[in-house]
Amino acid sequence: MPETIAVIGGGPAGLEAARSVADLGGPVVLIEKESFLGGTPIRENYAALTPNMESAEVAMGRLVDGVNAAGVEVLLEHEVTACEGEAPDFRLTVKGASGERVIECGGIIVATGFEHFDPGRETQMYGYYEHPDVLALQDLEAMLKDHNVVRPSTGLPPERICFVQCVGSRDRQIGNEYCSKVCCGVASKEAIEVRQQVPGCQVFIFYIDMRMYGYWENQIYWPAQEEHHVQYVKGIITEVLKKGDKLLVRGEDTTMGRPMEVTMDMVILSVGMEPSAGTRAMSRILGIEPNKYGFIEVSNPPLDTVSTSRRGIWACGASLGPADLEDCASSGGAAAMKALAFLRRKPVPVN
Amino acid sequence: MPIPVDALLKKKEHFDRGEHDPRSEDFHHELFKLEEQGEWIVHRAPDPIVPVETKYGVIKKIPKAHLWHHKSCGQCGHIPGYSTSIFWVMRKLGYDYNDPRDQTSCTAWNYYASATSNAAAQAAVAMRNFAAAYETGYFPLIHCGTSYGHYKEVREELMHHPELRAQVREIMGKLGKQMVMPEEIVHYSEWFYAMRHEIAAQQVRDFSGIAATVHPACHYYKLVEGDAIYDPDVYGGQRTAIVTGVAEALGAEVRNYSTWFDCCGFGFRHILVQRDFTRSFATLRKIERMKEEADPDVVLTHDTGCVTTLDKSQFAAMAHGRNVGVPVMSEAQFAALAMGAHPYKVCQLHWHSADYRPLLEKMGIDWEAAWAEFQQDLKRLESGEKQYLTWEDVG
Repeated sequence: MPETIAVIGGGPAGLEAARSVADLGGPVVLIEKESFLGGTPIRENYAALTPNMESAEVAMGRLVDGVNAAGVEVLLEHEVTACEGEAPDFRLTVKGASGERVIECGGIIVATGFEHFDPGRETQMYGYYEHPDVLALQDLEAMLKDHNVVRPSTGLPPERICFVQCVGSRDRQIGNEYCSKVCCGVASKEAIEVRQQVPGCQVFIFYIDMRMYGYWENQIYWPAQEEHHVQYVKGIITEVLKKGDKLLVRGEDTTMGRPMEVTMDMVILSVGMEPSAGTRAMSRILGIEPNKYGFIEVSNPPLDTVSTSRRGIWACGASLGPADLEDCASSGGAAAMKALAFLRRKPVPVN
Repeated sequence: MPIPVDALLKKKEHFDRGEHDPRSEDFHHELFKLEEQGEWIVHRAPDPIVPVETKYGVIKKIPKAHLWHHKSCGQCGHIPGYSTSIFWVMRKLGYDYNDPRDQTSCTAWNYYASATSNAAAQAAVAMRNFAAAYETGYFPLIHCGTSYGHYKEVREELMHHPELRAQVREIMGKLGKQMVMPEEIVHYSEWFYAMRHEIAAQQVRDFSGIAATVHPACHYYKLVEGDAIYDPDVYGGQRTAIVTGVAEALGAEVRNYSTWFDCCGFGFRHILVQRDFTRSFATLRKIERMKEEADPDVVLTHDTGCVTTLDKSQFAAMAHGRNVGVPVMSEAQFAALAMGAHPYKVCQLHWHSADYRPLLEKMGIDWEAAWAEFQQDLKRLESGEKQYLTWEDVG
């Protein structure tokens, strides 16, 4: 029986899972399709992490260092293409630039994460692909990281920015009825950063209702208003049009029960989470059940947060559904523990 | 590794929807699958058919004839020339129809105003009307935009919820009716769009000097939005082609304005509980914008609520000296006028509030003479010579 645990995906959850297995003395292989570790926060150029405002590069670098220090075997630019056998005797075929390789492993942890909702699929008319100054959360992250928040159309700093919440989330028409959990916090965090980097810029957040889970209420939501003067407007935006060199933002102010029209220099769409292509592919290749949205289904919720429909395979992080970084790290550790326990559990002696 | 603004812009240049786009899936497969499973009868759209393209490419069959007219409560009550024009055009083109007396209200107005009902009751009303049409052999044609949009939503709900079908089946059993779903849910304006070239071929009045603005009905193209007609030749396929396609086929100039996508102001809840809001919205955000930006001779739309709201809201704004005063009518009345219909006997424009007479003059219609003819007919009714006007009276 092979004792190796294969971890698929080198983002926050996968890194934590791999490091945890290694720290507990288990052999582990980390398979990552990109040429770097760190997952979406690194690939999408996140600036600071929510809620503590630590640099994403620094925080993810610490996780990567932990993986390297623990002696994890890392396969970059490798993808899983097939899986044979049953637990605890899996044979995982991985493909990289140097060819194919079969990894014999006793357990598999899937940490293939999410992707940002593509605003082109939005049914409201936000014009992401139409107007240069309509961006998504991750686009602004990249600008904030670069300390270069400018209107793409002019290269000049904006005077008025608004965020539009729940783009691709809580939307029955699109089929994503779920809340993506992090967008309210991330938008508020970015709003604070914009106010810090471009002090003259007015910042608005249009929301259905702000969902600031747990401590985020005090960590982000109130400081955004009280210290950084971010303006929250309860309203639904339906349309973004070009008006002169500005963007005309139309919607309904639901508190006042009136239509509203405001001009902005930039509009940031708070896009939600959808299963990544890797998550969909692993569900198919490994034969583990997805839920109706394509995320991996947990088999025994709510108290078992990482077991999948197939024995010997666990999932963690945003491959299971919308998740913040705390969720990712926690479920990564939990998956590592479950996998090791599965392989090391001694049979109960029979008298 | 920060990325430059150029890279952001490049990323936004092209949108790829991917291989699998559920929006372009043809719902008809599910419709017929449910028929095979004995869940309902699919009422086939009768020949001859005009195939038209909907928003995401699914083809919709519009039957030319043998149609069961599902009328609109507000149309019959407030602007009767609207439905009369639909019938008149259909008769002129020589297509048979059935004008039923046992159709019920769809009850969707109260539903959309959050005032009444539940999913099973709503679906049962729809299925009751579909069954009534099926019993006659005629295919339903829905006059009202709200009934149409609502029935499309009901179809979606029934296709995807077996428990709802079971509830409705029980109700239909008590009514002694079968479960029937039409192959297509067709709005009258889709029929006008499909028939626009046949209508234009019988045009007797020149509309080339007429400038129109179009208000599309929200419940036509925003509910189950995939099942609405789009045409690459109209607005480049980016907006529904309904109404605009008809106006253009008749030679009118359709002018654009910035609040094209906005509601007319009716708003269902608003017209019931905040009517002042409706009046302001209709005049300040729709009519005034049209006047300022397009200066049309006429506003064309295709739903009961839109015609009444845009037309009958103008009097209040006019009293305040606002920039309003544009006639509003359905494209059915517009098409009927183009084909030579009488402005009062058929189109019944005297039920409309905004002054339509300058438009009639531009169309080459002597409205004074037409009014005198209509008065003559009314005298015949007053004298008891006739009880009501018939098709023979209107020409």
